[in-house]
Amino acid sequence: MIVGIPKGLLYYKYYPFFTTFFQELGSELVISPDTNKDILDEGVKYCVDDACLPVKVFHGHVAYLKDKCDIILIPRFMQVRSREYICPKFCGLPEMIKNSIPKMPRIIDKPIYAISRRKLYPWAREIGRIITKDKKKIKNAFNTALIKQDKFKLGFNDDSQQLTVAIVGHPYNIFDNYVNMNIVEKLNRLGVGVVTEEVVEDSLIDEEVKRLYKRPFWTFARNSYGFASNVYRENKVNGIIYISSFACGIDSVVIELIKERIGNFPFLTLKIDEHTGEAGLDTRVEAFVDMLGREIK
Amino acid sequence: MYYLGVDVGSVSTNLVLLDGHMKVVEKIYIRTKGSPIKAVQEGFKILKDKYNNVKISGVGATGSGRHIAATLIGADAVKNEITSHAVAALEIDRDVKTIIEIGGQDSKIIIIRNGVVSDFAMNTVCAAGTGSFLDRQAERLDIPIEEFGDYALNSNIGVRIAGRCAVFAESDMIHKQQLGYNKADIIRGLCDALVRNYLNNVGKGKEILPKVFFQGGVAANKGIKAAFERALGFEIIVPKDYNVMGAIGAAILGKEMAEKERKTNFKGFNLADSKFESNSFECSGCSNRCEVVKLIENNQEIGCFGDRCGKWSNRVKSILIK
Repeated sequence: MIVGIPKGLLYYKYYPFFTTFFQELGSELVISPDTNKDILDEGVKYCVDDACLPVKVFHGHVAYLKDKCDIILIPRFMQVRSREYICPKFCGLPEMIKNSIPKMPRIIDKPIYAISRRKLYPWAREIGRIITKDKKKIKNAFNTALIKQDKFKLGFNDDSQQLTVAIVGHPYNIFDNYVNMNIVEKLNRLGVGVVTEEVVEDSLIDEEVKRLYKRPFWTFARNSYGFASNVYRENKVNGIIYISSFACGIDSVVIELIKERIGNFPFLTLKIDEHTGEAGLDTRVEAFVDMLGREIK
Repeated sequence: MYYLGVDVGSVSTNLVLLDGHMKVVEKIYIRTKGSPIKAVQEGFKILKDKYNNVKISGVGATGSGRHIAATLIGADAVKNEITSHAVAALEIDRDVKTIIEIGGQDSKIIIIRNGVVSDFAMNTVCAAGTGSFLDRQAERLDIPIEEFGDYALNSNIGVRIAGRCAVFAESDMIHKQQLGYNKADIIRGLCDALVRNYLNNVGKGKEILPKVFFQGGVAANKGIKAAFERALGFEIIVPKDYNVMGAIGAAILGKEMAEKERKTNFKGFNLADSKFESNSFECSGCSNRCEVVKLIENNQEIGCFGDRCGKWSNRVKSILIK
């Protein structure tokens, strides 16, 4: 059985788990290519108009895969940490896809509660059964996939340059280079190193988040706020860049929380949407780097 | 010794010539009309007739079309509009604390403290309330854009217009106009709406302290200036060369760079007579399918833009992002 895995949304964070799991079960995988113009165009064509760019891009990846596989993974992420949730678009993603893209193959849409081994295993057991009857094989595949995921290190931690900037935002905006117009490379070329939230230990993020008047409802909010607050307090970077998808509800709250926390500390918001012209983004990034450079002198 | 600054914006292309004391000796304001190359050439034609034998010692380019302009003219410095505007304002007055800049497609706020940029913001993907929108409304109301501001000043009370979105603002204006409100009151209402929108979006959370410089093409609009003063409660200053401040900044940065490098890359005014062609094509090298623009001067390729990997733009050694 050929399993299709779209390279969008939380793929960037959890692909070691999913790819290993299905490979160990003995299924053949097709993964969509890095986001490109065709994928974006397809995504925009199929997706409802109000969705954010990453969701549209995900639709494009699904459209690319739908005729190339027997079953397609649309991860319905509900939780990755206890008492916190993922953006509502993730819980409804399979329905959005089913109703927007015609002639879909079979879909893996069982909700994913990745808050503990015990809570995640039922997902693996049920999905594994679609592919094999061998219970032991499923258990082994699950274990191997978790080990792979644990070993996986994502993120940037480059403080070797003259200036260092923290890039904050949802992982699929930071690691999809088509969507963010190669922001990391652009910054490197301007003599700026990049750090991302993955380099800050979980316990340190928790410490920052405790300062908020209530615990964050969304994991994305917790990570972004905690990371920004930590690098600001410990003076680890010269400035913070927040990459935000146009019309993102979570970001609209988190950006304000961060701004309130960091006061006058250099902060730039980059809104990304369907446009492919880079002039606007270049201007903002260059001006921000100029500003940081002048402050050093 | 003269220095040239070129600012290729979405609506206008501006050229300035500064003397050794950074005084403006010539300024040219041309409508870009969708062809930045032609606009730069047109400007060069005027400069060539008057200044063909002066020595240009440094050149800078800015504006959203800065890369294409830089390749065209051989710029020493290629800088973004924020830095250019700040540099120009500080050259005129070291005490500037805030710059409001509204151009054709962008609006910006630049906060300056102790002579350096300490914060800035630009409009997001939406261009509501910028010059091109005002242009369109002036055209629709059949008023020359130059008189737009005077109309606003003739009104004592503005009509409330929705300012959040240009499309909403336009329908709101049409509704009000059909209800019989006079043009002046509608225009004053529009000015107030745009200023409100600017302060709530671009200027949100920023500490706007005097002296405030108001720069960019829209600063010509007295109605907007007055609306800003009403909203902020103090005078704002429109510098004499408000509409070419970006180009002035570029010229100053071009001077700094040329002095540092001890040479200029300036290609001369002859480009006014060159034949330029720009071809765009879709690169089929990979799945990104970049839309590449190839710039050709007298049958010779001088630069490419728009590719993500550098396959085309690195082909001709140009002075992109530096």
